[in-house]
Amino acid sequence: MLLFDHVSKSFGDLRAVDDLSFELEAGEVFGLLGPNGAGKTTAINMAVGLLEPDEGVVRFAGKTFDRDPREAENRQALGLAPQSIALYEEISSADNLRFFGRLHGLKGSDLEERVAACLDFADLTDVRKKAVSKYSGGMKRRLNLAVAIIHDPDLVLLDEPTVGVDPQSRNAIFDRVEQLRDDGKQIVYTTHYMEEAQRLCDRVAIMDRGRLMALDTVRALIEAHGGPGKLAVQTGDKESIHDTTDPLGTLAELQERETVEHFQYRPPDLETVFLNLTGRALRD
Amino acid sequence: MNKIVAMAAKDIQILFRDKLGFFFTVFFPLMMAIFFGAMFANLSRGPASIPVALVDEDRTAGSQRFVTRLEAAGGLALDQIPQEQALDQVRRGQTGVMVTLTPGFGAALDNPFRITPEVELTVDPTQFAAAGMVRGILLEAAGAELQALMSDTERIQATNDQNRRLIEQFAPPSPARDDFLTFIDLSARVPALVGQLGLDGAPTDAVSGGFGPPLEIGQTEVQAEQRGPSNSYATSFGQAMLWILIGGSVSFSMSIAIERSRGTLMRLLVAPITTRHLLAAKGLACLTTTLVTSTALITLGITVFGVTPTSYPLLALALLCGSICFCGIMMALSVIGKTEQAAAGVGWGLALPFSMLGGGMVPLFLMPEWMQRIANISPMKWTLIAYEGAIWRGFTLNEMLVPCAVLVGIGVVAFTAGASRLRWDTG
Ligand SMILES: Nc1ncnc2c1ncn2[C@@H]1O[C@H](COP(=O)(O)OP(=O)(O)OP(=O)(O)O)[C@@H](O)[C@H]1O
Ligand SMILES: [Mg+2]
Repeated sequence: MLLFDHVSKSFGDLRAVDDLSFELEAGEVFGLLGPNGAGKTTAINMAVGLLEPDEGVVRFAGKTFDRDPREAENRQALGLAPQSIALYEEISSADNLRFFGRLHGLKGSDLEERVAACLDFADLTDVRKKAVSKYSGGMKRRLNLAVAIIHDPDLVLLDEPTVGVDPQSRNAIFDRVEQLRDDGKQIVYTTHYMEEAQRLCDRVAIMDRGRLMALDTVRALIEAHGGPGKLAVQTGDKESIHDTTDPLGTLAELQERETVEHFQYRPPDLETVFLNLTGRALRD
Repeated sequence: MNKIVAMAAKDIQILFRDKLGFFFTVFFPLMMAIFFGAMFANLSRGPASIPVALVDEDRTAGSQRFVTRLEAAGGLALDQIPQEQALDQVRRGQTGVMVTLTPGFGAALDNPFRITPEVELTVDPTQFAAAGMVRGILLEAAGAELQALMSDTERIQATNDQNRRLIEQFAPPSPARDDFLTFIDLSARVPALVGQLGLDGAPTDAVSGGFGPPLEIGQTEVQAEQRGPSNSYATSFGQAMLWILIGGSVSFSMSIAIERSRGTLMRLLVAPITTRHLLAAKGLACLTTTLVTSTALITLGITVFGVTPTSYPLLALALLCGSICFCGIMMALSVIGKTEQAAAGVGWGLALPFSMLGGGMVPLFLMPEWMQRIANISPMKWTLIAYEGAIWRGFTLNEMLVPCAVLVGIGVVAFTAGASRLRWDTG
């Protein structure tokens, strides 16, 4: 439904997004993976109509429709959880949800139903009347996510939804994203954590310096760009690392020569894909 | 429309949660109203002198001597001006009492045996108390003048000689004429006799008793067309309502900057509403808050502090126009300040000098002429004129239209300029 067709966006001399093309497929979680400054947020901002592309088109398109996100009414079907928490801290979580619900045309019992559902989704029902300023970072993150779906949008864009969150809360957020996917939402998920992309995303677009480096399913990306895995082997007091695509074969070969006391195999992952594509590590 | 109302309601809800913003938009103005009202109330109860317009139509040494004596007596703030101007002042309620020294006053004063000196009072009927005090001071001065004449042997001798010559010239000799001339001669000895009686310091009428009242006072009433405020709270509540507008416009101009720095502006922009709706919502929130708080404040002024507006419909009109003006200014301010601190700084930085100039701190009529003229550029001045016009100046609809048109004009221009220059980028 969301379509990027040769989209570029510059800030002054800086090409923040450079010739980006992709099309979301029904019911998928689509990952935008890249290091800081890769252009993920810029791409999201164009997807939600906050920024206008310099070149190319961004559309909500399907067989029967073709809509510009810059038009207000076309944004009814999308929900955004911005990278930085964007909430009214003086008022309660219920009031935040109510306000954004009204902004999307909800009212009456429909509104109250959705507010209750979203509070439940974010696990904030018990504290729904407390001012948001009193919440922990994890609670704010969950509310930031819940506000994006108050109007039950078809397309949900999550811009680094786990930034600054402890591992437990992060898992809670993963569960919620999976729940959204199971509800049949299309999801765009940006992150610079390859584990997140690997766990959650059906397809991943790897971005670096505004450019799309590769786009495919996680498995296909690893097959195409992952290269060999790493087999670490300890024999006596010696330790060695071997690149291999067939760890069992390599291990058998080594064992013919000497006694292997310990071994560890690390298969190629998105980290190695990124390294192979850009010559740099994903994390700085 | 529902969405606009929802956004405006959210802004108002947040304002009331923000204790500082609430303080500046609601409590600060109320405190100003009570503080300045009480301050001026005390001042006007004190022993202030009564403003009097004095018209000297006689213009003789005698009349000027009387004026000097009045000034020295204290209790009156004399303003010597031509008759027309004085009458105008009484009509406008700027002066309560006008005193006219008619031609011949000086001569009568110098020769009280022939004619009693006369003054004419022109009084605003609401200023009866003041007129009474003015009468007392005038009588006292005339008595003192008479006493001075009686105790001045040379002057009384000169007066007697003059009177004797007149009588001898015009009246044919008769026993009555002789008696009268004897009386005049005797009167020349009054000061000496007073001295011998040891009457020094006694009330003047003990001495002048033989000659009737030392001064004849005529009085006419002139209905004032526009009276000053009946109550010092009428001025201070007008000013306080102005402060509501100032506080409200600064608070709401900050709210856009706050939405930007918090990131909620991004959510608003992503919602299925146009930026025109966003602007309308901000304007509506500002307008609603300022209107509601101003109405609450003036209601308090009316019910508790005895403020009595001369026209409720015009007051409503003035409130609406004032709010429109300052909500427009709010939009312009929110363009200038991008961050919260900048918005607040710009807002208060402009509000303070402009309100000083516009009479928000010191009432306009106490300012020098030139400053009042510069004050025309201050929207605060026009707001005060409109508010005071409805509260105590008794404006007609026509008189009200001028400040209202200026206010709406400023509001619309500022809102349009601000809205068109407002940058929505959230970065
Ligand atoms: N409004 C802007 N004005 C100027 N430069 C900008 C603006 N927004 C983004 N950039 C620049 O564009 C580049 C891409 O930024 P973007 O925020 O899209 O990256 P990102 O992938 O979201 O990074 P991060 O992981 O840090 O969020 C960066 O170099 C950034 O400095
Ligand atoms: Mg980003």
